[in-house]
Amino acid sequence: MNACPRPKAIYLYLEGELGPYEAAKLEEHLECCAACREALEERRLLHEAFTSLPPFEVPEGFARSVMDSLPAPETAKAGWLAPLLAAAAALTVGLAGFHIFTGQSVFGMLVAVNRFLGEVVALFTPLAVKTLKIGSVLAKVAGNLAGLGFSGLSALTRILGPEGIALAAGLSMLFALLAFFGARRFLRQGVGS
Amino acid sequence: MTEDRQLVSRALKGDRRAYEMIVRKYEQPLTNYLSRMTGERETALDFAQEVFLKAYCSLASYRPAFKFSTWLFKIASNHLIDHWRKKKLPTVSIDQPIEEKDGPVMPQLADPGPSVVRRFELAEIRQRIERALEAVPEALRELFVLRHVNEFSYEEIADIKSLPVGTVKNRVFQAKEMLRRTMGRP
Repeated sequence: MNACPRPKAIYLYLEGELGPYEAAKLEEHLECCAACREALEERRLLHEAFTSLPPFEVPEGFARSVMDSLPAPETAKAGWLAPLLAAAAALTVGLAGFHIFTGQSVFGMLVAVNRFLGEVVALFTPLAVKTLKIGSVLAKVAGNLAGLGFSGLSALTRILGPEGIALAAGLSMLFALLAFFGARRFLRQGVGS
Repeated sequence: MTEDRQLVSRALKGDRRAYEMIVRKYEQPLTNYLSRMTGERETALDFAQEVFLKAYCSLASYRPAFKFSTWLFKIASNHLIDHWRKKKLPTVSIDQPIEEKDGPVMPQLADPGPSVVRRFELAEIRQRIERALEAVPEALRELFVLRHVNEFSYEEIADIKSLPVGTVKNRVFQAKEMLRRTMGRP
């Protein structure tokens, strides 16, 4: 007969937490040890009681009271609303400050602001026009280059013939695969180090 | 688990109904745990409310790689620790003998002694356990409650309490043997 198991092993056995070897050893011991059988039965009863303690009675409306105690959600404002309000507020403060310090009328200030904005527009409009012109020239050049590339490619396919195209396609696929797996290996090494 | 993640995700987008579903799902297990730890009904309810509030405010820090229940109970456990620290409750070292009327008692008690529970019906045993639980040191009681009332696995408890699994198993065992001895007294 093997030695009596420790009480901890009995609890783990009851919880199904004992390994199969230890459980078999314990069961073998129980067959020939009345004291341990009694200890097991006692702890089985306790274990049953431990795992069936009555639940706490949660009052109805508890979840509601929790929800009422949570901070109010932030109202979803449109992304543009806050900056617009800030700009309007800044403009109002600026105008009021200007009026207080210079003593000029609000109408006069608005005329001055309008004039200033007109000057800004007059300054930036030619710049915008020039930028657009440069953009269109660049687009034309890119279009010409693409056309040239396509015509070169069609000339090359004519020269190579179907066998040559198949060979080129195969070779490029091979290079692509090599590059892919090479890069993957390189990255893995980087992760491992 | 996936349902919890979806609810959290919805709650993070401002869906309060989703968070209410989380509260309804966990109000029972959380109050089961807190009532056994505080021993007072009203305190347990107040704590549960505070834990749900804390969880709501830090929902963005929840990582879906972990179980929501363990994350929530971690918050609850820390809340209890803060409470005990503030109250400066006398703590009992679980590595030192505990002084009792009959003399010092070590939590690790081994020999299968004479049966002390057979004469009680299961309902009475449960009542005795509830009473005896109050005498078990918090550090042991908490692990016992998490294991047998909340039915967390030892691994999950280890995660909640940031303890090794072996330590958790030992302490749950110590709590059970302390309960057994306390119940055996007249």
